[in-house]
Amino acid sequence: MIQVQNLSKSFQDIKAVNDISFTIKKGEIFGLLGPNGAGKSTTLNMMSAILKSDEGHIHIDGNLINGHAKTCKHLIGVVPQEISLYEDLSAYKNLLFWGNLYGIPSKELKDRINKTLALIGLLDRKNDLIKTYSGGMKRRINIAAALLHHPKVLFMDEPTVGIDPQSRNHIFEVIETLNKQGMTIVYTTHYMEEVERLCNRIAIIDSGKIIAQGTQAELKELIPTKESIQFEFNLLSENDVNQLRGRLPYPLSQNKNKLLVECTVQELSKVITTCNELQLSVEDIQLNKVNLEAIFLSLTGKQLRD
Amino acid sequence: MILTILKKDLRLYFSDKKGVLVTFLLPIIMITLFAFAFGGVGKKKSTPKPLGILVVDKDSTSTSQEFITKLNSLPTIRLISSEEEKALDLVRKGENVAALVFEKGFSEAIATNADVPVELKYDAARDIQMRIVHTILKDGFTYHLGKGDVINQVQLKTTSVIKQSSTKAHPGLVQAVGGTAIMMLLFSIAAIGGGLLDEKEAGTLKRLLIAPIKPLDILLAKMGTAMIVSILQLTVMFIFAWVAFGLPIFMDASSLIVLILCISFAVSSFGVFLVSTVKTRQQLQGMSTIIIILMSAIGGSMIPISMMPAFMQNIAIISVNYWGIEGFFDIFWRQLPFIDILPKMGVLVAIGFGMTLVSTVLFKKNIIEIA
Repeated sequence: MIQVQNLSKSFQDIKAVNDISFTIKKGEIFGLLGPNGAGKSTTLNMMSAILKSDEGHIHIDGNLINGHAKTCKHLIGVVPQEISLYEDLSAYKNLLFWGNLYGIPSKELKDRINKTLALIGLLDRKNDLIKTYSGGMKRRINIAAALLHHPKVLFMDEPTVGIDPQSRNHIFEVIETLNKQGMTIVYTTHYMEEVERLCNRIAIIDSGKIIAQGTQAELKELIPTKESIQFEFNLLSENDVNQLRGRLPYPLSQNKNKLLVECTVQELSKVITTCNELQLSVEDIQLNKVNLEAIFLSLTGKQLRD
Repeated sequence: MILTILKKDLRLYFSDKKGVLVTFLLPIIMITLFAFAFGGVGKKKSTPKPLGILVVDKDSTSTSQEFITKLNSLPTIRLISSEEEKALDLVRKGENVAALVFEKGFSEAIATNADVPVELKYDAARDIQMRIVHTILKDGFTYHLGKGDVINQVQLKTTSVIKQSSTKAHPGLVQAVGGTAIMMLLFSIAAIGGGLLDEKEAGTLKRLLIAPIKPLDILLAKMGTAMIVSILQLTVMFIFAWVAFGLPIFMDASSLIVLILCISFAVSSFGVFLVSTVKTRQQLQGMSTIIIILMSAIGGSMIPISMMPAFMQNIAIISVNYWGIEGFFDIFWRQLPFIDILPKMGVLVAIGFGMTLVSTVLFKKNIIEIA
């Protein structure tokens, strides 16, 4: 659906995007993960045809953006990071205005507005002025405005910034619904939990460069640290550990009454059963996941939110 | 505690360079302009440019020619020879302040020591300039006719080329309505143009750019809004002037409508031009205040052009105010036919196109690139 090839963009002496390439398949939720200032928004602006690249090409559904910007703009919906709405207009009138810019026939547009408002759960508030909405509600209307022309691809630039967990969950549900309907979604964020929940594939971007990309599983393979589970026992002797080593196929390491087992969550029941058989009393269990934060830290030496 | 807050406020105030500029530079500019307009500046050092007065010699005798030469030697006036019909037409159109007509029998009157048949035909819209010219000429006549210091012995007859009638507006009213209307319009339009910067700050401009429309369409739409508001504002102002002061707006309604359209176009383009030169609302506020007040001052919105020295009158032509006010005088006072007002309308349209062109370039550079 989207091919980005050797894309670069500089602002004066600063190379905001530096020779990045990636491909997004139809129906994917593709995450662009990176800290603030990594180049995510610049990349998205170039993909939205509002910023010209210095080098490289972007194809959307087979159309090269340079020279076919208008065609591409009909194929994409963009949810900007800012709440780009007219505060003194109602949600309905905002959507009517934004929909009109795409040349949607009036009757059809009104129908689409009502359906979109129903999707985001704000149909009953459609005549209220945007300035009376909460931050989360505004974010939802911000998304609705990008959906009216039925785009094939939806670009979402940090769509959950500054909102409460409930609204965030609502937005996630909307994204998942849209994706189930076949929409390709490009999602930029610096929240790794969001990417982990939503995205099929991820590109990690830092200082304008893509430092890794793939599925979550593929990314986890990139670093030596593996997922592990830490068990805390009431009492754990060396003999107990040796017995466990004889029965479990996973690497074990002991630290006083704590035992670190390099296994996955799926393998947890086997470890517990073995402990029960050896009459070892488990006091506490802690999962040490290999997450994107750890991957980012491992690849760049810095935290995602630096 | 008070001192701490005071220090902070002063620090913040002086960190706003545009604000400081408006506070100090604008009054200095205004004082300078008004000082030149009301006189008393530079006269000791330099000789003012002589006032051009048309002269029509219907007597055509050596006496009249000799007298014209003597008058022309006065340092404050410059006599320009002309045919009567052409001279009166130029005065009527506001090109010259007055025409001095030497009637037949001038030489005989000199010989018989009778009252000289000379008439000063003037444009009453330039009343102040006219009074200066009248005084200069009367003094000149008295001196050269050898009538000593009894000035009143020389009666210089004066006649306005445009007859005051019930259908005509008083020039003072035209100046007040036209001058104020255009100045206030400039402020309104600058504020409307500023909406583009609000859109940029609110993020809606970015969404507009994302939509499948040309960036130029955004600028032209904003200009269209400004133009509609301009037309409405000018219309309301002139209707008010008609109701409250009896300004005869239906005297030449078609010319007035076209002139309002031309002024609205020029002012709207000026509004988008202003917005395109700045990057923030704050910058616009400072910039627009300075430019609009300056343009209104030199363009005749604050003080009539005729009161200004010649060099300022020459500068006035760069302002929208000047062409608009002159257009209103052509309609309401001079009652010129449409074809004679057309050049002024043309200048306004040219200003509009010029500023729109520059705005499109600046808009791309200053507004879109960083939206």
